[in-house]
Amino acid sequence: MDRLKRQILRQAVDENLSTIEGRRLESSASNVTTSGRPTLLRWALVPILAVVLVVVVWAARPPLESWQQASRKPPQSDPTARLATASHEVDLTDRLLFPVPRPMDMRAFPLEVRRILLDPGHGGDDHGTLGGALAEKTLTLDIAQRLAKLLEKDGLEVEMTRRDDRRISLKERAAQANAWQADLFVSIHINWLATRQVRGIETYYLGPTDDPRLIELARLENRQSGYRLAEMKPLLEEIYTDYLQGQSLQLAQRVQRSLFASLHKVNPQLKNRGVKTAPFVVLVSTEMPAILAEVSCLSNQEEEELLSRPYYRDHIAQALARGIRGYADDIHQIEEKGS
Amino acid sequence: MSGSKEVLNVGIDLGTSRSAVSASNGQQHVIESYVGWPVDMVARKVLKKDILIGDEAVANRAMVDLRRPLERGLIKEGSEKDITAVKEILNHLLKLVGVSKDKKAPTVRAVVGIPAEAMRVNKQHLRNALQGTVDSLMIVSEPFAVAYGLDALLNSLVIDIGAGTTDFCVMRGRLPTEEDQRTLTVAGDSIDELLLKLILQKYPDAQITVYMVRQWKEKHGFVGSAQQPVKVTAPIKGRPTPLDITDAMKTACESIVEPIAETLLDLLPRIEPEFQEQVRNSIILSGGTSQIAGLRKALQDSLEPLGGGAVKSVKNPVFDGADGGLAIALDALDSEWDQLT
Ligand SMILES: Nc1ncnc2c1ncn2[C@@H]1O[C@H](COP(=O)(O)OP(=O)(O)OP(=O)(O)O)[C@@H](O)[C@H]1O
Ligand SMILES: [Mg+2]
Ligand SMILES: [Zn+2]
Repeated sequence: MDRLKRQILRQAVDENLSTIEGRRLESSASNVTTSGRPTLLRWALVPILAVVLVVVVWAARPPLESWQQASRKPPQSDPTARLATASHEVDLTDRLLFPVPRPMDMRAFPLEVRRILLDPGHGGDDHGTLGGALAEKTLTLDIAQRLAKLLEKDGLEVEMTRRDDRRISLKERAAQANAWQADLFVSIHINWLATRQVRGIETYYLGPTDDPRLIELARLENRQSGYRLAEMKPLLEEIYTDYLQGQSLQLAQRVQRSLFASLHKVNPQLKNRGVKTAPFVVLVSTEMPAILAEVSCLSNQEEEELLSRPYYRDHIAQALARGIRGYADDIHQIEEKGS
Repeated sequence: MSGSKEVLNVGIDLGTSRSAVSASNGQQHVIESYVGWPVDMVARKVLKKDILIGDEAVANRAMVDLRRPLERGLIKEGSEKDITAVKEILNHLLKLVGVSKDKKAPTVRAVVGIPAEAMRVNKQHLRNALQGTVDSLMIVSEPFAVAYGLDALLNSLVIDIGAGTTDFCVMRGRLPTEEDQRTLTVAGDSIDELLLKLILQKYPDAQITVYMVRQWKEKHGFVGSAQQPVKVTAPIKGRPTPLDITDAMKTACESIVEPIAETLLDLLPRIEPEFQEQVRNSIILSGGTSQIAGLRKALQDSLEPLGGGAVKSVKNPVFDGADGGLAIALDALDSEWDQLT
């Protein structure tokens, strides 16, 4: 065997070794974990991130009497930095001593929806799902662009995580949203379902899961925080029902309803797959109400056909705009009633 | 440790649509990359199986939840079912080359070639998924396996035109990096889908499926001028009817020429000037779709603006990837295999 072959083969072996290594590195690089653990453990971060996230939101609230102690701690803006510190443990300790939080009273917030960050899913060499010549990444960008125009017409400030065909990590997407201090984060995706006959839309927001695997992983991770799962779980659930989740749910419902109502007219076989919770990474790390809408199904041939037509994509954009507007109006009304 | 146990080296081409295996015991097999699970109790009773692989899965598609696990980035989502499906395909291929699960089974060392796109996003998932099915595992990109098998590691360009994707890989005497590779999503599948649409435009009542259309393409696909009209038979309102699909076939097959040619014209000028001519003259077409009549010639002609070049087709598009993988497996050192467990 000649030298060149040997050399390249060695590179291939090394690359494989680094993948094996990467399995260990990956989990420790995403901090909290320091020892070697399988990739899936990353998901165990979900509940922790969520706790931290909400704790920070909560810490940033206007000081009501019983929150004072916690709000001494300034929120840190970088979500990973937050994780890296031990502060969340302290926060949690404080937190446990406090009375159970009630659902947030919206009137405590000077809320207004002004800035919307649209997130066209995938991009660059990440095509997303594909149907024929159509790639998810192209469709999501097209729909987002249409949506941006509509929202701008309404006088809203709109930004996009990408305006062209490039790859952006989920982490960056969330970071953009946080840095720009968006009021809403809307991620647009196209679904792919194994049962190809089904065509449907669904909208996700961040929420707890019943998946026993995630719970077990969370248990492993949370061990280091000094709490037992039994203490952790209700805590998580209470916090989840709190501000962000409630808002995200409302937004998701608005958008899902609007999507289904208007698309169903032109696409009668469409299934309303409803609003669901899932620990999507972009939703975990965003610090504002955030949803991920699967606006169509490329796995279905008829849907694929529809998606190839501009009028249908426009329909989707219109429906999304209506949903977002509806949510913004809800907020406004609460505010007006409150003041 | 290999110890005294017998060793079986295998090269596997894990494709979106077809997967092939070549083993050091001389066995070679190819299967459709489909996995199907019976949809319900009835289907399970009828099929008498919990899982179906390859042709059998396709043949019973009405009764199974049919998946091509590497298709369209599915496994990237890490769904349990797709991971199981990939495992099943691998196990099935191993069974075909004589690996049984008993104690006497040899130590299996596998080099698995996967589509370049999957290599970018799924490598880790795949490794996790395939872990445990073989004793040692190496994952490489499919075009690299082809290049290795053909000894075309220096100043050549492999274009693997498969089902889901067309992968370009410039070989410059090193393990291909991101900048050496390109992926287009026009390939066999996009031809099939376009062909289906075009035929339906001409014969709106024809009862045809993408599976039928794919077979016609594999038999009669061409670019350039037609040698003879393409005539097939399909039911219209239940009655077998002759269809002339010559124009549709030509249009559908030619739909991939321009994107591939454009990518070539974009990729070649980026190579260091002193090597460009050499690369232009060692362009290698592989993958099932490269067998379309006239395609090689059309792509070679597209190099005219750059001063011409030579495009060759591999001899055996079905097994070149698997053979390349086997060559890698045989060339890797025992010490290297011992690390790749
Ligand atoms: N004789 C033929 N003429 C034209 N196309 C063919 C022929 N034989 C097979 N094909 C097509 O080749 C494709 C399969 O090729 P191949 O096995 O290289 O793909 P794959 O490796 O599974 O896919 P990918 O590389 O995208 O992962 C299918 O689209 C099939 O229809
Ligand atoms: Mg292939
Ligand atoms: Zn997506």
